[in-house]
This record gives sequence, C-alpha cells and structure tokens, in this order.
Amino acid sequence: MAMAFLLDLGRCIGCQACSAACKTGNELAAGTQFIRLIEQTRGEFPDLSGGFTNHRCYHCADAACVNVCPTGALYKEDGLTRTSRDICSGCGYCVEACPFGVPEMVDGLSSKCDGCADTVRAGGEPWCVVTCPSNALEFGEREEIVKEARERVTAMRARYPKARVYGEDEAGGLGVVMVLPDDPDVLDLPVDPAPGALINTWTGIVQPATLALTAGATVAAGVMGVIARRNHMLELKALEEGEEA
Amino acid sequence: MATLERPVLRYRRNQRIVHAVLATSFLLLLLTGMMLLWGPASRFAGGGTSRLVHRIAALGYMSVPIGYLLADRAGAIELVRESFRYDRDDIAWFKHMYRYALGRTREMPPQGRLNAGQKLHHAFVIVVSVGVVGTGLTLWFLKSSLGPDWLAFTTLMHDLCMLGLTLFLVGHLYFTYVYKALSGMTTGYVDAVEARLEHAKWVEELAASPQPAHATDPAHAITKTNKTTTTTYRKGKKQ
Repeated sequence: MAMAFLLDLGRCIGCQACSAACKTGNELAAGTQFIRLIEQTRGEFPDLSGGFTNHRCYHCADAACVNVCPTGALYKEDGLTRTSRDICSGCGYCVEACPFGVPEMVDGLSSKCDGCADTVRAGGEPWCVVTCPSNALEFGEREEIVKEARERVTAMRARYPKARVYGEDEAGGLGVVMVLPDDPDVLDLPVDPAPGALINTWTGIVQPATLALTAGATVAAGVMGVIARRNHMLELKALEEGEEA
Repeated sequence: MATLERPVLRYRRNQRIVHAVLATSFLLLLLTGMMLLWGPASRFAGGGTSRLVHRIAALGYMSVPIGYLLADRAGAIELVRESFRYDRDDIAWFKHMYRYALGRTREMPPQGRLNAGQKLHHAFVIVVSVGVVGTGLTLWFLKSSLGPDWLAFTTLMHDLCMLGLTLFLVGHLYFTYVYKALSGMTTGYVDAVEARLEHAKWVEELAASPQPAHATDPAHAITKTNKTTTTTYRKGKKQ
C-alpha cells in the first residue's frame, strides 16, 4: 500500500518542532538533520509576503537516488524511499542525482529521511507528523492524502490564487504531497524534478547490458576455448608427426 | 628455415612484473567495480571497503605506464610503436582471425613478436585506459560538482570503458588458454614450436640476429636447422 505525507506550506508556522522531533526520535548524530525549515521572505517592504519551505526527502516514486544506488542501500517500500546504511558503499551518487539535493554524506555514508520506517512498521506515525502543532503535516494512504491536499488547495485559493498541489505527478508522484501557496519555482522547488534521461539510460540499459555481455562473453569463451584448444592440440600433434616423418 | 629447439624468452623480468601489476590492479578494479553493478555482490560493497580497495588499485593501474618507462624505457616505447603499426600480414591475419580463434594457427599469415590480435589488444587497452582513468579521476575528485546529468554521463562512460576492457580481457584469457601461453608471463619463456607457429617472422629475426639475447643462455639457444616445420601462408591457403 502506497503511503504518503501531506505537507501544507500554507499552514506551516516554522516552529521547527518537526525537525527537533525527527532529530530526537531518530537519534540523529550532532549536525545531522533530516528536515530543515527555510524561512522565505518575498517582495519589498512594505509589500512583503513569506512563509517556510521544508528541505527534506520528498520520497519520489521515480526516485533518482534509488535508480543510481549501486548497492540497494536506498530502496522503495510502501511508496517511501527507505535507507539501509549498513549496505551503503558511500559512493555518493545519490547526493548528486537527487533533483532536490536531499541526501547528505554523514560519516561517509548516505543519510536522509526514511519516513520513520521502524516507527511506522510498528504501527506508529512519523515523528514530524505527530509533533506538528498546526496540522501542516499528515501521514496516511497516498490516495487519501492526495484527496486531502486537493481540498486544502481549493480552500486556500480565496487567499492564495496561485495555490496548487505539488507532488501528485512530479517525479512519478512524490511521497510528500505538498500544498503550495505559490508556484514551485517561487518556493525554490524544481518545476520538473524527474530524473534525467541519462540516469535512466545508465542504470536501466548500460548497467544490465554490461553484466549480460560480460557473462555471455565469459560463457562463450569457456565453451569455445575447449573446442579451440582441442583443435590447436591436434595441429601440434600433426606437426609433430610431420617432423617425425 | 630457422627453428628454435628450446623454449624462447618472450618477456623479460621487468616486463613480467609490469604485466603482473597491471593484471592484479585491473582484476581488483574489476572485482570492486562489479560489486556496484551486480546485486548479489553489492552487499560486499557496504561500509566503503571496496571503494578504498578500488582507489588503491586505481593508483596501481595508473602507475603501470610510469613503472614500465622507468623499468624498461626502450621496451615500453617499442611496445606502443608495435601496437599501432600494422603491415599486410597483420591485415591478412585479421581477415582470417576466425581460424586463429578456432585454434588453427597453421593457416594464419606469419606474424612478428606480436601478432595482429595482440597489437590490437595493446592499442585498445592503451586508448581505452585513457578513458577509464579520465572518467575515474573525474568521479574521484570532481563528483560533487558534476550534477545529475554529468554524473550519469561520466559513470556511463566509465562503465562502457570497463566493459570494453573486460571483453578484451576475456579474449586475452581465452587465447592464453588455447595457445598455452601462460608460461610467457610466469617464466618468461614460451614453447619453441608455439613461437614458430604463431610468430614465424619473429623467430626468423631471432635466428638471423648475430647476438640474440637468448644465445647468452645456453639452455635457451637458437639453432638453425634445415627442418621446415612451419607452414607458409599464401592467400589464405597452406602451401
């Protein structure tokens, strides 16, 4: 079952409770954060507007980090992008591939939000969601979350005409469906966060083809080698017999 | 017709050491690189040890041309020259390469110290190594400034270069097995009959040389006899 977060930037008050709860609940090391709140001020005084954006994993369905991860340390489960740091090789490909610039290297290994995998598996809710005092965060089945996001956007439009849902289809559908009061680029979000075609070519075509060709050539060489060696031994024998004659 | 009665020195000690460093470092690079491609092996890449081994092996691989020039400058230069120089016999050899691949050397055009396939192998390794080292160094030192598309392009090219080198390695091992050539890189000597069959022009040169290197070692002397045991090639037919 695909799960998702709802992140309503119209309701976020920037209290940092989600970030602090995440850090405490997941026992993150000093200096490590999975959620960073960024205060944004737009316009010029006295016509100012603003709010808070979240810098956090958006759990893309078509996740570039999962595509490029060579060891499977990043993987999809229940619509969210999980992490297994114990099999991370520290290559850092995920850091470069993520269109949101989310994963970070901590102690040489990839580090990012995994949707509170252990807590959710045990029947709980992610730490950020249970802590949010303004209902800016929800967690549940993605279908229900998308529905809720649409309703909130409809209600917001009287005050924020450019309000929209972000993440319903972007990057194959995000695991963090967002309610935006403005256009994504205004909020420093990529308009099209889909992984580049080259990444898909590399991981979807070149890597499997490389393995297949190497394995095929090795097997073919093994079989052919037996035949060719026998031919060569026969020609050596014929040569020897010719010399003796 | 000149023939060799005893094993003939094909690779000097320094050449064998350079080859050993190249082979060891390449196999380590291949093994640790494959861990990032093949799912079942990828769990061994956890923790970053394989990444460290990959980088140490890369230093070994990159040291090969420098080491070769220091150990045997003339030999290194000659190897590069030979690898990019092809005569008519080499072209004819390529045309009938399938016979060589099937273990039928007697039907092949006469070859020098390196046959045409070995020349191509060396040339390919030299050229593609530039690509694999260039992309590897980029991924090592400039990865954080590449961005998604250039990262994908660089790793894609790195993978393709390694694929090419690996396929040539499979061929290299194949011919080593078929033609019992391993001794050339362990003891340095190859069987005289094999040398005569596969490198007739080189054997002629050695035998004609007034002071062949082998002559200093009586155990590996070159002699001239009247025996004609090699076959000569004319338009793809034995004469």
